[in-house]
Amino acid sequence: MSVQGAALGPGMQFFVAVWIALMCIVGVEVIVTYQHLPPRQLLVWLLLLAFLEAGVAAWYFMHLKYERAALTWSLLPALVFVVFMMDHIWPDAFRLASMRLLSR
Amino acid sequence: MSELDATIHAGHAGMEESPYGIPSGKLAMWCFVLSDAVTFSAILFAYGYLRIGSTNWSTPFEFAHAILNGLVMTFILLTSGLTMLAAVEAAKAGRTAAGTRWLWATCALGALFATLHLREWGRMMNEGWRLFQNPLGGSVEFGAAFFCITGLHLLHVLGGVCALAVIALGYRRQRYNSIDVEILGIYWHFVDLVWMFVFPLVYLMNAR
Repeated sequence: MSVQGAALGPGMQFFVAVWIALMCIVGVEVIVTYQHLPPRQLLVWLLLLAFLEAGVAAWYFMHLKYERAALTWSLLPALVFVVFMMDHIWPDAFRLASMRLLSR
Repeated sequence: MSELDATIHAGHAGMEESPYGIPSGKLAMWCFVLSDAVTFSAILFAYGYLRIGSTNWSTPFEFAHAILNGLVMTFILLTSGLTMLAAVEAAKAGRTAAGTRWLWATCALGALFATLHLREWGRMMNEGWRLFQNPLGGSVEFGAAFFCITGLHLLHVLGGVCALAVIALGYRRQRYNSIDVEILGIYWHFVDLVWMFVFPLVYLMNAR
C-alpha cells in the first residue's frame, strides 16, 4: 500500500478557512478577557479556547488528521499522561500563598 | 513510485513497512515536538504555581500597548502557519519556485514576529521590568516568569527562522526535498501552537 495516500489532504482554500477560524477563536479570547470575569472563570474559558485552537492547529495545520491513527494514538496519550501528572501541584501553590499571608 | 515511497522503502529493502507509514525524519520530528510540548507544559505549570502562590501578583498589560501588540504578533504567527502550509503544498506538488517563495515568506513573518517581540521586551525593560525586578512593587516573580516563558518561545522562533532560511536555500538548489519541507512545517506549526497557550495564559490573564 502506498503510504502517500495517508498524507493527502485538502487544498489551500480549506486551510484559509481554518486560519480564519483560528483568528476568530483568538478574537473570542480577547472579548472574554474584557468581560470582567473572576480570574478562575477567565482561566477556564481561556484554557478551553486555547486547547480548541491547539487541537484545530494540530489536526489540520500539522496534518495529523491525514496521518495514520496509530501516530495520533502513540503521541497523544503520552502527552495527556504527563500533563495530568503535572496537574497535581496546585494544593502546594495554595499552601504557599496562605503561608505567605500568615507570615505578614 | 512516489518520492515519499522511495524514501521510506530505500532503507527498508526486505523489511516490513513502518507502522506509522512516515519517513524516520518525520517521526523524529513528532517525537521532538512531543518532548518540547512537555517542556513548555512544565514551564507554564511553573508559572501557574508562582502566580497562585503569590499574594501580590501584578497584571501590567494595558490593551493599547501589550495586548494589541500581542494580537498583532498572534496574527503574524498564524499567517506564517498558513504560508508554511502553502510551502508544503507547493513542495508536494513539485513546484520548487513557489515552494521556495512561500518558505521565504514564512521566514520573513517569523523574523517580523521576533522583531516585534524584542521591541516589546525593550519597552518593558524601559519601564523597569527585569528578571527579578517589578516597577509596580508587586511580586518580582512576574518578570522571571514572563521573560523565561516568552524568551524560550522566542528562541524556538529564532531557531525556526534559521532553519527556514537553510531549508529554503537548500530546497531551491534541490539539496532538500518536499519531505524535508514538510518536516520543518511540523516544527513551525508547533511553535505557533505553543503561542496559542502563551498569549492567553501570559498576556490575557495579566491584562489590566
